[in-house]
Amino acid sequence: MVKVGFYQGCCFQGQDAHMFETMKETFRRIDVELELLEETTCCGGNTIDEENRKLSYAINARNIALAEAKGLDMLVSCNTCYMVIAKAKLALDRDEELRREINNLLKEEGLEYKGTSKIYHLLDFFRDVVGYEKIRKAVKRPLKGWKVAAYYGCHVLYPKEVAIDNSDNPSSLQEVLKALGAEVIDDYEHKDSCCGYHSFFTDKSMTLKKLNKILGSVKKVGADIVATPCPLCFKSFDIYQTNMEKPPMVPSSFLPELMAYAFGLDRKSSGLAHHLVKVEKE
Amino acid sequence: METVKLEVFRYDPEKDKAPYFKEYEVPVEGTLLNALLYIKDNLDPTLAFRAFCRSEVCGSCSMKVNGKTKLACKTPMRELYETWKGKPLKIEPLNHMKVIKDLVVDIDKPIEKMKTLIPWLVPDPRVVPTDPMHESIIYPEEMKAYKDQIHCMLCFSCYSACEAVEDNERYRGPFAFSKAYRFQVDRRDIETAKEKRIRYAISGGLWSCVQCQKCLYVCPKGVKPAEDIQNLRGQAVRKGFTDKPGAKKLKHFVDWIYATGQINRLYLPEEVYGNREAREKLTKAYESMGVEVWEVPKPTKGLMKFRDIYLEILSREEKALELDFSHVRKIDKLVSDVFKADICTIVDKVHQKEEKTKGLIGRLKELFGGSDG
Repeated sequence: MVKVGFYQGCCFQGQDAHMFETMKETFRRIDVELELLEETTCCGGNTIDEENRKLSYAINARNIALAEAKGLDMLVSCNTCYMVIAKAKLALDRDEELRREINNLLKEEGLEYKGTSKIYHLLDFFRDVVGYEKIRKAVKRPLKGWKVAAYYGCHVLYPKEVAIDNSDNPSSLQEVLKALGAEVIDDYEHKDSCCGYHSFFTDKSMTLKKLNKILGSVKKVGADIVATPCPLCFKSFDIYQTNMEKPPMVPSSFLPELMAYAFGLDRKSSGLAHHLVKVEKE
Repeated sequence: METVKLEVFRYDPEKDKAPYFKEYEVPVEGTLLNALLYIKDNLDPTLAFRAFCRSEVCGSCSMKVNGKTKLACKTPMRELYETWKGKPLKIEPLNHMKVIKDLVVDIDKPIEKMKTLIPWLVPDPRVVPTDPMHESIIYPEEMKAYKDQIHCMLCFSCYSACEAVEDNERYRGPFAFSKAYRFQVDRRDIETAKEKRIRYAISGGLWSCVQCQKCLYVCPKGVKPAEDIQNLRGQAVRKGFTDKPGAKKLKHFVDWIYATGQINRLYLPEEVYGNREAREKLTKAYESMGVEVWEVPKPTKGLMKFRDIYLEILSREEKALELDFSHVRKIDKLVSDVFKADICTIVDKVHQKEEKTKGLIGRLKELFGGSDG
C-alpha cells in the first residue's frame, strides 16, 4: 500500500465532496491510500496571481508544507492546481530569498517549506508509482466497446517546466484508458484546444466557442464519451456545455469516474450518474 | 543514414489553386532548419521558407511540426524523430496569418496589432533628461522587472499557438501584451502612457486570454506572455478598471479565499454576472441527483492562521485589489449561518463534530453504500 497526501482544491468539496469518496475507494483498489490534506486551501486557481504572485507562492508553499509535515508526497488531480502548485514549487526551489521570506511567515503555524515532497498529477502518478498493470488487474468491468476520446487539458502539458508527459505527443492518458479496456480515440481535430474553463468568468463567448469546437470534433469521430484527467475540463464539458445555444450534448467524464466504474463501483458511486449531460453508455 | 519523411505544405497563390503537401526524405541529424536547407540544396530549390541567423536570434524560421509550433533552427531532428516515433512530420506555416508562399507567412497583421499597445518608451521628462548629452541610467535592479520580455524576437510562435487569437479576431496576441508590459514596469515611461496602454490592452482582449500557457511552452526565448497578461490584468484593476467580469472574478477569488480558504463556485455566477438563478439551478440539479449541496465550502482547518499569512503578504506587496472586508464579513455571516457557529471557533467545531458524527463524508458513505466492494 502506497500512501500519498491528497490535495483536494475546490473540486472535492461543497457539492463535489462525494468525489473524494469515489477517489479514495478507486485508489484503494490499486493499493494506494489517499490521506486528505485537510488544512490545505485553494491554490489560487491561477487567478490570485493577478492580485499578487507572491501571495500565490505563499499559499502554495503552505499547501506543500502541509504534505511535507506528514512526510508525504502530494497528489493533485486538477490540472490547474497541479500547474499552479508545481510552478510555486519551482519558484521556491530556485529562489532562496523567497523561500526564507515565506518560511518566516509559515513559522507561525509551525510549518516549513523544505522542498522534500514530490508533486504528482494523476497521470504521472499512475505511470510512475502505480503502474498500468496494476490498473489493468483492478478492472472488474472492462469498458469493452466504449469509444473514449482522450482529452488531456492544457496545464499538465504546458508550460514545459511542469509538464508531466511529452507535451507534443503525450501517451499517459491513453495508457490508463487502454488498461480500463476502452477503445481509445486520440486523433481528433481539437484534442489540443483549450476547454475554456478559465475564460468562463472573464470572456464567456471564448469558452462557448472552445466547447463548440472540441465537443463538435469529438462527436465527429464517433466517440461515446470524452475523458479528461482534469476536473475543471470536465466541468467545462459537463456544466458549461449546457450554456451553449445548441449544446451538442456530448457526454464527458472525469478519468477517476471511469476508473471507478471499470473497477466495479456502480454508476452512482462512481459519479457517472451525476452528470448534467447524461452518460448513456453501459 | 537514418532518414525521416517530411510532408511539407506547398502553396504558391499565384500558381496553385489550393495548397498541397509534398514529401521529402531527409536525414535525422542537425536541426529542422538543416533538414529544410537539405531539401533546398539537394531535392527541391523551389521550396520557400524564411531563415537567416540559424542560431535562435532572428526569429524568422518558426513553423508548425505536426501541429506544434517550433523554431526550426532550435529544434533537433532527433528530438522530433523520437517524439513522433519515426512517423512522417507534417511541416506547415504558422497559424493565424496569410500564407505568402509555402512556409512564408505575412506578419503585417500581428505587427499592426502590436503597435496599438504602444510598445515603445514614452519618456517621462522628470526621469529621462531631455538634454541628449545626459545619460538616462537604468540600474540592474530595475532591469529585473523586464529582463525576460526584452528577449522577444518577434518570431510569432506564440501568436500562432494562441487559443485567444484563434477565437477572438481583435485579440492582440501574447507577444504584444509582453511587449506592452515591458514598458509598464519601466520607471522611465510616463504615467499617462501606462494608463493608455491599459485602456488599449483591455479593448485589445486582455480579458480574453484563456491562460492555457501554450505561449510559455512555444516561446523559444523563455518569455512568459500568459504571466505578463496576469500582471497587466492586475494593473488594470489597480488603475480602477473594475467593471469587467474578469475583475469581478478576481474580487471573488481574493475575498472568498481569504474568508474561507476556498472559492465558492455556487456564488461565482452571481458575483460576476449578477446571475442569481445559476446558484438555484445548479443546487436543484445536484439535489435531484441525490448530491448534498453545501452553500459554502467547509472552512479550512487552520483558517485563522492562514488569514494572517494572507494579510501579511498583501500588506507587504503591491496588489491589484484591497480586500473587501464588508464582503468578507458577509461571507463570514453566511458561513456562520450554515454551520451555526461563530467563524472564529467554527473551524475546530466543524471538524470535531465531523469526527464524532461522521458528518458529511459519513453520510455520503451511507448514500453511496451501493458499491459492490
